[in-house]
Amino acid sequence: MPETTPPKASLLSVRDLSIEFGDVSSPARVVDGVSFDLDHNRTLAIVGESGSGKSITSLAILGLLKHLGGRVAGGELLFQSEVLGRQVDLGNLSERELRKIRGNEIAMIFQEPMTSLNPVYTIGSQMGETLALHQDLSRSAARRKALEFLDLVRLPNAKWLLDNYPHQLSGGMRQRVMIAMALCCQPKILIADEPTTALDVTIQAQILHIIRDLQAEMQTSVIFISHDMGVVSEMADDVLVMKSSKPIEAGSVKEVLGQPKEPYTRALLAAVPRIGSMTGTTLPKLFDIPGQEIAPEEIPAKPVDRSKPVLEIENLTVRFDIRGGLLSRVTHRVHAAEKVSFNIYPGETLALVGESGSGKSTVGKTIQQLQEPVSGAMRFHGQDIFSLPTEDRKAFRKQTQYVFQDPYGSLNPRKPVGESLIEPAWVHGLVTSQAEAKEKVADLLVKVGLPAEHAGRYPHQFSGGQRQRLCIARALACDPSLIIADEAVSALDVSVQAQVVNLLMKLQAEQGLSYLFITHDMAVVERISHRVAVMYLGQIVEIGSRPQIFENPQHPYTKRLLSAVPVLNPGVRPNRPHLEGEIPNALRALGDEPAPVEFVAVSDGHFVAAQA
Amino acid sequence: MPVFRFILQRVFQAVLVTLAVTLFVAFAVRLTGDPAVMLTAESSSVTEEDLVRIRDALGLNQPFYAQYFDFIKSLVTFDLGNSFFRGSIRDLIGIALPSTLLLAVASMGISILISIPLGIHAALHKGGFSDQIIRVLSLVGLSFPNFWLGIMFVLLLSIAFPILPASGFETWRALILPALTIGIILTATNVRLVRTQMLETLSQQYVMVARAKGLSERSVIYKHALRNAAIAIVTFLGLQFGNLIGGLVVIELVFNWPGMGTLSIEAIAQRDYPLLQVTVSILAIMIVAVNLAVDLVYGLIDPRIRVA
Repeated sequence: MPETTPPKASLLSVRDLSIEFGDVSSPARVVDGVSFDLDHNRTLAIVGESGSGKSITSLAILGLLKHLGGRVAGGELLFQSEVLGRQVDLGNLSERELRKIRGNEIAMIFQEPMTSLNPVYTIGSQMGETLALHQDLSRSAARRKALEFLDLVRLPNAKWLLDNYPHQLSGGMRQRVMIAMALCCQPKILIADEPTTALDVTIQAQILHIIRDLQAEMQTSVIFISHDMGVVSEMADDVLVMKSSKPIEAGSVKEVLGQPKEPYTRALLAAVPRIGSMTGTTLPKLFDIPGQEIAPEEIPAKPVDRSKPVLEIENLTVRFDIRGGLLSRVTHRVHAAEKVSFNIYPGETLALVGESGSGKSTVGKTIQQLQEPVSGAMRFHGQDIFSLPTEDRKAFRKQTQYVFQDPYGSLNPRKPVGESLIEPAWVHGLVTSQAEAKEKVADLLVKVGLPAEHAGRYPHQFSGGQRQRLCIARALACDPSLIIADEAVSALDVSVQAQVVNLLMKLQAEQGLSYLFITHDMAVVERISHRVAVMYLGQIVEIGSRPQIFENPQHPYTKRLLSAVPVLNPGVRPNRPHLEGEIPNALRALGDEPAPVEFVAVSDGHFVAAQA
Repeated sequence: MPVFRFILQRVFQAVLVTLAVTLFVAFAVRLTGDPAVMLTAESSSVTEEDLVRIRDALGLNQPFYAQYFDFIKSLVTFDLGNSFFRGSIRDLIGIALPSTLLLAVASMGISILISIPLGIHAALHKGGFSDQIIRVLSLVGLSFPNFWLGIMFVLLLSIAFPILPASGFETWRALILPALTIGIILTATNVRLVRTQMLETLSQQYVMVARAKGLSERSVIYKHALRNAAIAIVTFLGLQFGNLIGGLVVIELVFNWPGMGTLSIEAIAQRDYPLLQVTVSILAIMIVAVNLAVDLVYGLIDPRIRVA
């Protein structure tokens, strides 16, 4: 270092960083030429889709690459260390010195709060460990300090928490513990790697709020890694966009998200569903992505004919027994779905939205007959299904098809995809010869935008988005009239998600399909749905057309859900009312039945649960 | 009190299993034939009246449930009665049980002392040279029949190089060969288990979190990873105890070790059914007791079990 170093050097200055994995002779380069500066009390967001190298970059800052089999292949990670009293290059610091920095000057929160805490140690012991290590505190002093930080992240009952174990906490609470643990040594840099991705949207809003508050209070610099443009827009001062291990664009949040220069950034932003962007329209609309296969003009939006429903659900109730005690008697029940009623019409998308534990997936699985209801009726094209003998029910199963969230788990890895696609058609006797099957497979692949000759490939040869297309193709194999899409686009990168959503809308327009679109993502719902039903604790609390729900929400829970969605509006900090509280669960003691919901009509077709 | 209920539940289950096992043993032993006939098989001049008298004396005329009840009573009070040929069963067990326990504990101990450090080492150097060697050695160990290994040890260390005694119970040195034989066989499986479990826990997010906190690698491995891996390892060791008892029966014969295995084999050979019934039941109770202990230890290691 020459002596002319500017007096106010950046806290962390990453110069031309490259990271490699695997053999030295034939390395895989996962980060290539990344540079950025992080100043005091600033938030830098690194955004990108899966495989862009954003998480690996953050692990390099902590010197943790070697535990994953990677190494810094070039460049510098210059950090002004107070503990060591000098500027150091984190890329080639000794393990001994790195340990003094880790958790002390640079701390990290990870994506999966459910697995971030060690299940066999109490919260107190896991927090105390860090404090004892870096601050040389006695047991009782560490305990006092841990308590102080648990209070800071607004965890109720902090004293009780210290002596209890992670499995007794919800995901949101665990992430707060992680934040408390990361901040308890007052680090200069906090790295947050997708800290809210695994959480429900209202819990996400709480966690983001806490991170912002504490950052302001403690003057910490934050590196925020995310794929969610809305979250980034709310959190960041500066943004670095990465794509397949290379930096694409960097600048202030206003520049990068407001006036993106690079085509990739523009495409990425075009694919982000923005809540409120559909105000004033009544029908679903395709994403307009530059260079996309389906142009929005091609698919005319058609109003739905509401004379004859495809599916009528009436007072559907599903409960799960919880057994306990020495004799395993039923002591509690989970009221997963309570008297749920709705209709779906031909060519219509009904979105069923809610957070974890709301019972939305249970409703979908019951319709698919993967789950037996306790009571209620289901009519398919007017025919009552549950009153039919089991044999005859099977015929209806082919008319409703299910698309699951995880496209990796739902295709047999040892079968060519063509075979998997056509399997349901064989089962239901819709194809009778190999030649017919082959033709149908080709037809299905083309329908979902994949080349027909891919039929002989295996699932691992496809990307996540392509696999979800395959799952959709398989659902189409039986010419269903209803497809239940259970979080079908939630696990996909945003650009891929937009394409799959467009594909679903195109198929709907071509074949008059009805969708039951089960999701937690309000922004996607706004794009795709004609009508929306909001579920909370097993009950529908509000149902209506998409504009009615989004523009005139009545139920407090609907309002809460909508206000929690991060808004992509660079430079503007959200000003939402502070959300508190956990999502309660639908577990009830035997005999303690929830009161049936009374619906009040707000306007034509818009109903809201009456509040006690 | 969830902890109290947890223990109560496990003890209750263990008692049920023990009752089922003893019932089966008592029933199965009686299926092998009339004990009175077996007892007198050697002598030529037995009359029908003699047999009736013997049955009376042994209580064989009573209904099965009464006999079973007497058997359970004798187990609980440890008033075990007499064997056909060898006098007080209690005295026989008094010698055999401690020597079997000694051998079992010694071989289990050897296996734990070797397999845990080796398994951790292999997991930390996955794919490396030492890992390959450990895996090959473990496979070799798995392929040996236990009695063959025992005989090889005797040939090598007692006959070719007479360092250690090949049989007997007199000095502690006599314990070395049988304990080593069983210990090595157990190590071959355990080292693989420890390795897999450590690899599994080391890939968990909380291990990365522990590293990101700045903890030393030692603390990450022994405090955070090993304790979690131990949950599965302890469970497996409990299940393995059943196999260990099976192996002991053979090895005790090979080394002429005066334990429960030898005793029960002799009881079978002599058709000494009161002795057989007791030895088999006690071996079964040992296995049940060890698994009960494992369940309780499991609850200690893993807080999630305590409240479940």
